[in-house]
Amino acid sequence: MSEHGPGDAVVIERSFDAPVQLIWRMWTDPEHFKAWYGPDGATVPVAKMDVRVGGTRLVCMEVQSPAGPMQMWFTGEYREVVENERLVYTESICDENGNVSSPADMGMPPGHPTTTEVRVEFAEVSGRTTMVMTHSGIPADSPGAVGWTMALDKLVAHVKTHGARQGP
Amino acid sequence: MATATDEDRLSETFAALANSTRRAILARLAEGEATVNELAVPFAMTLPSISKHIKVLQQAGLVVRGHHAQYRPCALDAGPLEEVATWAEQYRRVWEAGFDRMDAYLKQLRAEPRAGGRDE
Repeated sequence: MSEHGPGDAVVIERSFDAPVQLIWRMWTDPEHFKAWYGPDGATVPVAKMDVRVGGTRLVCMEVQSPAGPMQMWFTGEYREVVENERLVYTESICDENGNVSSPADMGMPPGHPTTTEVRVEFAEVSGRTTMVMTHSGIPADSPGAVGWTMALDKLVAHVKTHGARQGP
Repeated sequence: MATATDEDRLSETFAALANSTRRAILARLAEGEATVNELAVPFAMTLPSISKHIKVLQQAGLVVRGHHAQYRPCALDAGPLEEVATWAEQYRRVWEAGFDRMDAYLKQLRAEPRAGGRDE
């Protein structure tokens, strides 16, 4: 499990009965990526990926809402590309042209950071691949971001332990 | 529905938290309400300095002050903190579902080696 608190990052470890080369392609080959990405019922009509350090990505996810299909666009940049080992990219909500927009304007959950980072580490052991995905928020324009998010985690945990309601 | 105001509010929350004195004040208030004088005790700071920090926390909606009592005790409002805590948990569910789909897709590929994929 993660050492980070709930406000800071999602860390998910999964093991798949497949060689690492194939799991790598699940993330880096648009045709494969479209087949699995997103929640149940979502489709991925667009996935453009320039998988190299500094390369950009543009992904469209379509989900069904009571008002009909809703498209959400995400853009970002690849930061680390080590084939079959590690993939790191940033993610921001954007429009269909890749112009970054405010997460709140796009109806994302309150508190969603403007830019997030997705880090995936891969390791194969005798034909099975273990994948660790870390999706973390990058709070914009905050000095000493790392230090204070750790402190914030402790604070949130503390508040939860003590309960939000105090006094008479 | 989230609005641009929520986004501004979040920035304010982050800004308010980006200071060790203010975090310490919040941690103290998590244990119960306190007056400005009480809050100032652990810090080598003047009352006006402490008051400034409390004002920042109030503006961010993290601290509320009583109206009735003469000392206007400060109390924690954990709402904004919980907002900060939730985005990652909401994303967790989306990722878990995606990885379930990946697992199912891999099984499908194994059954039909060329389905949905490209040639090597």
